[in-house]
Amino acid sequence: MIRKLLVAIPLAAAMATTAHAEQTPTEVLKGLIDSVDSLYLTQSSQNLMMMDDNPALWTVDEGEELFHAPRGPNNVSMEACDFGKGPGELKGAVAEMPRYFADTNRVMDLESRIVHCMTSVQGFAADDPAVRQRHGSGSDMMKLQSYISAQSNGMAWNPPLKHPMEVAMRDAGEKLFYRRSGPLDFNCATCHGETGKRIRASVLPNVSVPQEWSKAISWPAFRVGHQNARSTQHRVRGCYWQMRHGQSIAGSDASIALISFWTDAARGQPAILPDMKR
Amino acid sequence: MFKMKTPLAAGIAAAAAIAITAGCASTDSADGKVDYTKMSSAELAEYLIFETNSFRLDQPTQEGTTVRDRQVQDELQKVCSETRNRPSPEQAGKIIADARASVQYPEGGIQLGDWKKGRELAWSGFGFRVGHNVDDHSNRDVGGNCYNCHQMATDRVGGNIGPSLTGYGKTRGNNEATRKFVYEMIYNPHTYFPCTSMPRMGANGLLEEQAIADIMAYMLHPDSPVNQ
Ligand code: HEC
Ligand code: HEC
Repeated sequence: MIRKLLVAIPLAAAMATTAHAEQTPTEVLKGLIDSVDSLYLTQSSQNLMMMDDNPALWTVDEGEELFHAPRGPNNVSMEACDFGKGPGELKGAVAEMPRYFADTNRVMDLESRIVHCMTSVQGFAADDPAVRQRHGSGSDMMKLQSYISAQSNGMAWNPPLKHPMEVAMRDAGEKLFYRRSGPLDFNCATCHGETGKRIRASVLPNVSVPQEWSKAISWPAFRVGHQNARSTQHRVRGCYWQMRHGQSIAGSDASIALISFWTDAARGQPAILPDMKR
Repeated sequence: MFKMKTPLAAGIAAAAAIAITAGCASTDSADGKVDYTKMSSAELAEYLIFETNSFRLDQPTQEGTTVRDRQVQDELQKVCSETRNRPSPEQAGKIIADARASVQYPEGGIQLGDWKKGRELAWSGFGFRVGHNVDDHSNRDVGGNCYNCHQMATDRVGGNIGPSLTGYGKTRGNNEATRKFVYEMIYNPHTYFPCTSMPRMGANGLLEEQAIADIMAYMLHPDSPVNQ
C-alpha cells in the first residue's frame, strides 16, 4: 500500500497541466466539502482519509500503459481514438461527455466510445473478451476508463449540449430520471430528489445540489464494499436493479440519455477522478 | 387520456423483436432511420425504453410478466411522473378514489400476525429484483423494505425517506382505527398520500396477506421492539 501511495502522488501531479487539475482527487473533494454543507459529501471520513491511497490510482496507472500500447488485430494504440477533443487528446475530454460524435452519428458516453475505438481502431471483434469484459479493476475497460477519466480530474463538468442530438438525449434522460414504474413505483428521484435523505444508513446525493451530484457521478470510483473500480454504467445498472425496473444495457441509448442528464446536473462542479465510494 | 398508451408503446413488442434480431441494436437507433430530435422528450424517453434495446425487456419477472410490462406505466405512475409527485387537486382526488377502490381487506378482518416474523420482513429488502442478479422467491420470503425508508425499532438503523415509525403502536394505540389505517397504508398508501414515494405493497402484489399481518404486528403489538 505504501508503495502504491508513492507512485500515486507523482502520477496525480504529472497529469496536471492546468491550474485546476493541479489538485489531487482528495483535494477536489475537500474543495467541494468546503463549498457546501452536505451530509452526503462528509458521510465517510474513513473514505476521505483513505483517498490518497485509493487503489483506483493503480488502475489509472495500468490504464496508462494499456492506452499507449499497440494492441488488437490492427496493432495500434488507443492514441488514434477521438474522445471529442481530437485524436489522443484526453485532457478534459471526459468532463465533456456524453457528446455527439459525427463518425458514429450518436451521442456516446465514455464506455461506448472506448468500445467503438477498440473495435474500429484497434480491430477487436465485438465479442473479444478484451471488449466484452466490462467490470472489475482487472478488466481492460476499467483500466482504460480510469486512465482516460483521470485526465479530467478537477475539471468542471461541461457536457457540450450544442448539437441537437445532445440536447434531445439530455432532455429524454431527465424524463427517464423522473419516470416512475415497476412494482415499487420508484424513479431515481425517489432516492435522489431531496437533501439529507438516507436509505438505511447511506446518505443519498441530491440531483439538485450540483456539488453533491458532482461526487455522485464521478466514476470510475473504487467501491470499498466491492473492492473494485466501478464504472458509470455499473452504477446505472445497479440503480435500475435496486428500483426493480429491469436490466439496463451498457452503452444503450437510454443509459446514455440518463447519463447525459445526470452529467448536466453536475455542470460547473469539479470532477473527482478517480473517486472512492462506500 | 391516462388509459391511452402512447402509439410508441403500442408498437413495443414488434420493435423490440426487431431490435433483438438485429443484434447490435444499441447502435441501430442512430442509423438515420429515426431522428431523435424530431420527437418530444417524453416521446423519445418512451422510444428509448421500448425500442432501442436499452433494457432486457424480454426477461421474465417474479410476478409472471416480463420487464417490458414493468416498464409500461399505469395511470398512477404516469400522473405522478408527469407532475413530479404534485398532482392537481382533481388528479389527486382521482388517485385517492382509485386507491381506495384497490384495497382488499382480509376475510376475517384485519388481524395482527407474528411480530417476530414482521421484524425480519420489515428489515428485508429482498424480492422482485431482476437483471444480472435475480431474486429467487422460492427460497426466501419477499421483504417489505420498510427500514430502507423508515426508522422503526431503534436497534437497527432505518432510513428517513419516510417519517420515523418508532413507538408507532404506543402512540397511536393498537385499536381498530389505527389497524385500518396502517393496513391501508401498507396496501396502497395513495389512499392517504396521493403520489407518495411509498410503494403499493398490497395493491401491487408485493406482500401477501400474512406478511402484511406480521409487519402490522411488528408496528402495533405492545411486545414489539418498535413499541419499547
Ligand atoms: C431505492 C433507492 C434508490 C433508487 C430508486 C435509486 N438509487 Fe441511486 N443510490 C441509492 C443508494 C442507497 C446509493 C448509495 C450507494 C449504495 O450504497 O449502493 C445510490 C447511489 C447512486 C449514485 C452514486 C452515488 C454514490 O455515492 O454511490 C448515483 C449517481 C445514483 N445512485 C443514481 C441513481 C439513478 C440515476 C437512479 C435511477 C435510475 C437511482 N440512483 C435510483 C439508492 C437508490
Ligand atoms: C420508498 C420509501 C418507503 C418505503 C419502502 C416504505 N415507506 Fe412508509 N412511508 C413513506 C413515506 C414517504 C411516508 C409519508 C407519506 C407521504 O408523505 O408521502 C410513509 C408513511 C408511512 C406510514 C404513515 C405514517 C404516519 O404518519 O402515520 C406508515 C404507517 C408506513 N409508512 C408504514 C410503512 C411500512 C410498514 C412499510 C414496509 C412494509 C413502509 N412504510 C415502507 C415511504 C416509504
